[in-house]
Amino acid sequence: MHAENLALLVALPLLTAFLLQPLSQKFAVGWLAPLTVLVTLLLTLQLGAGVMEQPISSVMGGFVVPMGINFYLDGLAWLFLIALQLSLLLLWPRGEQGQSVRVQVLMLLLTASSIGLLLSGDLFNLYVFYELLAVATFGLVAAGESRATAIISFRYLLLSGVGSVLALTGIALLYSHAGTLNLGHLAELVASGELVLPLSAFLLMLLGFGVKAELFAVNGWVPEVYATLSPRLSALLAGVVSKLALIVIVRLLVLLFPTPEASQVLLLLGVLGVLSGELAAWRAQDLRRMLAYSSMGQLGVIFIAFSLSVEAGLLVGIMLSLHHLLVKPGLFLLTEQRFQGWSMVLFILFALSLVGVPPLPGFWAKFALLTGLVSAGGWINSTALVVFLFATVVEASYLFRVVQHYHQERERHQERGRAAVSVVGQDNSGVWISTLFATGLLLTAWQIQPISDYLQQLAVQAGDRQQLSAIVVGVTEGRP
Amino acid sequence: MSREQRSLEWTPLLFSGGLAFLLFTLFIATMFGEPPMRAGAMIQQAGGVELGAANLVTAVVLGYRGLDTLGELAILFASATAVGLVLSTQNGESDKQASVFPDKIFLGEIFESASRLLMPLLLLLGFYIIIHGHLTPGGGFQGGVILAIALFLPALARSGEIPLNHATIRLVEGGAGTLFILIGLMALMQGESFLQPLLQPGEIGALFSAGSLPLLYLAVGLKVGAELAALLVHLSGESA
Repeated sequence: MHAENLALLVALPLLTAFLLQPLSQKFAVGWLAPLTVLVTLLLTLQLGAGVMEQPISSVMGGFVVPMGINFYLDGLAWLFLIALQLSLLLLWPRGEQGQSVRVQVLMLLLTASSIGLLLSGDLFNLYVFYELLAVATFGLVAAGESRATAIISFRYLLLSGVGSVLALTGIALLYSHAGTLNLGHLAELVASGELVLPLSAFLLMLLGFGVKAELFAVNGWVPEVYATLSPRLSALLAGVVSKLALIVIVRLLVLLFPTPEASQVLLLLGVLGVLSGELAAWRAQDLRRMLAYSSMGQLGVIFIAFSLSVEAGLLVGIMLSLHHLLVKPGLFLLTEQRFQGWSMVLFILFALSLVGVPPLPGFWAKFALLTGLVSAGGWINSTALVVFLFATVVEASYLFRVVQHYHQERERHQERGRAAVSVVGQDNSGVWISTLFATGLLLTAWQIQPISDYLQQLAVQAGDRQQLSAIVVGVTEGRP
Repeated sequence: MSREQRSLEWTPLLFSGGLAFLLFTLFIATMFGEPPMRAGAMIQQAGGVELGAANLVTAVVLGYRGLDTLGELAILFASATAVGLVLSTQNGESDKQASVFPDKIFLGEIFESASRLLMPLLLLLGFYIIIHGHLTPGGGFQGGVILAIALFLPALARSGEIPLNHATIRLVEGGAGTLFILIGLMALMQGESFLQPLLQPGEIGALFSAGSLPLLYLAVGLKVGAELAALLVHLSGESA
């Protein structure tokens, strides 16, 4: 299958999004949008066949690379594409909210922009997809039933707008220094020492893209938005969408800013994120807010991981991201109804993995971070280590407080002779989908060795700047 | 004074301090003089010949960075859809939305006649700017806004009465976006890349030149015009 078809992954969801409203006047189109995502998922599987050996690149419009925009698919992008599309299919809005054609359109635009963020190899194009992602999310947040959503989404819009301005300023600054926006081309220039990019450009882009990645100082929107959105959408945003911005930041760090200063900024913001997020989660009174705050803390941990040296950092960071991507949506879905029996078992399973109890994947990811921090040495890393261990204790404390709370409540119900059963006919699909996430978690625990070998390969590939430049520049040769 | 109020008083100072610092850093980091033009110089050399567009900006917007333009159209579309969604949920069950326009007021003979006279002229101007986008400054985005103004004007003069039925607007909105993507996909089907310019570049400066770029600009113009008109429909309170 030739590389030019990479464009289809973005073009098809956009096409369906444009067509959906005119078509909806004549036909029932509820199935069309998820079907499109299924088609792009199959396309991704087909395109990704040989991608671990040889990443592929395709230039839109067939121009030479620094002039045109290219899409680049390597193992890392492929893995997150699969995770993204599976999560989208599982968490696609259903019921009353899913009936609205406009919600379907916004979900398709969210899909297209997320895929674009993973594939695009051009800085300004990344910014365009980031904006599209932001606007689609505003719409979805504002569509909630309660009247408070309008205010919440407005605050989110303001913060996100400031972030976009910062990111765009960073990109403009970088362009004024380099005269090109292509990541492959830039990586080549930086690697050969021909170009030194100013750290302020990285900071601006870090804060800008960090809004979606729940980076400390620009993550104020997180608790409000996740507490008001439907559990499915919270699960989607906290699970996979927050990782997309993270991947963009990591690519910037690895390809363009391989300096210790850039890593230290990431480490510092990560540590502050862990402290603020976990302590706020410990004090939170509402379950969804607690999960939202703890998500801020866990993304802080991932930022700490990526600040390690390139090879170790990428591996540990990807492990932690994937773990969070499985656990957080599962937890958010459980908040849909009251805890009882099976959902309690699932909650305890997710909580154990989040804290890092041995056979579960969370343990391996956290253990890798621990060894990485110890071997990196230095007082900054030691401080991060202490903070990280402290955060784990706090995490365990509040997660098991929830378990204890619900257990007591159940006993009280039983004493009164009322079984704590939910209303008959309640929508249980959230628990089923959560079960699927838990199955994924257990499968990972079972196959931990082959999976970590695969991730190791992936990390080496994502850190290989020469391969990226060679492939992106290689595409340009032999074309007019 | 409560604690929250006191912290609010500090916020503007902190914000302006941060902004000043930001601008200062940018000033230091900006390279004055002649910045490097790695991609820009290549485009300036190749652009005219390769694509046949007399207006080099068009060659960049629709050729070299066509995907960005598609993304921007999608952003505009997402905003219009989000506005529609918010306005329809804010008004709850009732199908009829609140209108931002005042109820029927007669604004005077001159105003109404002028709006009726200006509308066809504005439509003509809008299409002229769109169709000549590859030759002169202007193009789909600017022309599209003028098309939307042509629809806004009668609505203002006649209290929110829109000359186009909103099913039509929705059809144009979806159809124009589809046209843009289909032109891109046609190149893909012929074994080229997505959004590769089709047809012959032709003679620079002629109306029929620059291959498929004018068609793309037509799609952009219609899309922008329809998107803004759709916003007007939402604000005028018709059930959409």
